[in-house]
Amino acid sequence: MTDNAGWVRIERRFKAPVTRVWAMWTDPDLFRTWYGPRGMTVPVAEMDVVVGGTRKVCMEMASPDRRMTMWFTGVYKEVKAPTRLVYTESMCDAQGVIIPAKAMGMPEGHPDVTEVIVDLAEVDGGTVMTMIHVGVREGTGGAGGWTMAFDKLAEALGAGA
Amino acid sequence: MDNDTQLDLAFAALANPTRRAIVARLAKGAATVNALAAPFEMSLPGISKHLRVLETAGLITRGRDAQFRPCQLNVAALQAVTHWSDQYRPIWDARFDAMDRILAEMEDKNDR
Repeated sequence: MTDNAGWVRIERRFKAPVTRVWAMWTDPDLFRTWYGPRGMTVPVAEMDVVVGGTRKVCMEMASPDRRMTMWFTGVYKEVKAPTRLVYTESMCDAQGVIIPAKAMGMPEGHPDVTEVIVDLAEVDGGTVMTMIHVGVREGTGGAGGWTMAFDKLAEALGAGA
Repeated sequence: MDNDTQLDLAFAALANPTRRAIVARLAKGAATVNALAAPFEMSLPGISKHLRVLETAGLITRGRDAQFRPCQLNVAALQAVTHWSDQYRPIWDARFDAMDRILAEMEDKNDR
């Protein structure tokens, strides 16, 4: 497999000033508008955007037969408005108590924390954004990823043989 | 076994609702055949057959304990099927598409 199993790097260019893209990440009301596409909503987004401040986000997926919520929490490690934001992310319960990866069925040695790094730069009146989501080299992803992966898998395989 | 063969076996093994349910159960931790059989209306030999398919595909491993032989997920094999970056990239891409749309809407409002 490729050597980037443990991270995702995405670069995007937006036709908007850097301060507005920064607000998309740091204003809870704006964050909720874009963070949960594809049938996911974000009913809760709490963020104390200072170094050492905490964040808590609830994502909800409603389907005809079930309603699934996933909670994520983390801490802001770098806050340099409006150009650099670094925060951690872990699965948690509704109270914000971290659920260890192992308790979610992850193998021994799987980290309980991933990290999201956002860099913004003003270019020609627009914004170039680089986002890196760092997981773990061994792969296997977060617990939410597992759930989605299984759903995706089930979809891809249809009703099965 | 080459990667493609391994992947083919994995997908074939997962193309069955009972075996997917077993995998989902094992994602929560190792379990004995009896524990795995409990939610299904199926005989132990029936479950054992499914477990053998999963084992042949490399998706699960079974303990050496002769009596219980607990099953557990072989995460390395599942990675080939559900790769970390493959899961997250489309999620982020869709989010940033949404962000792009919302930024464009804001721009329109400002122009008016």
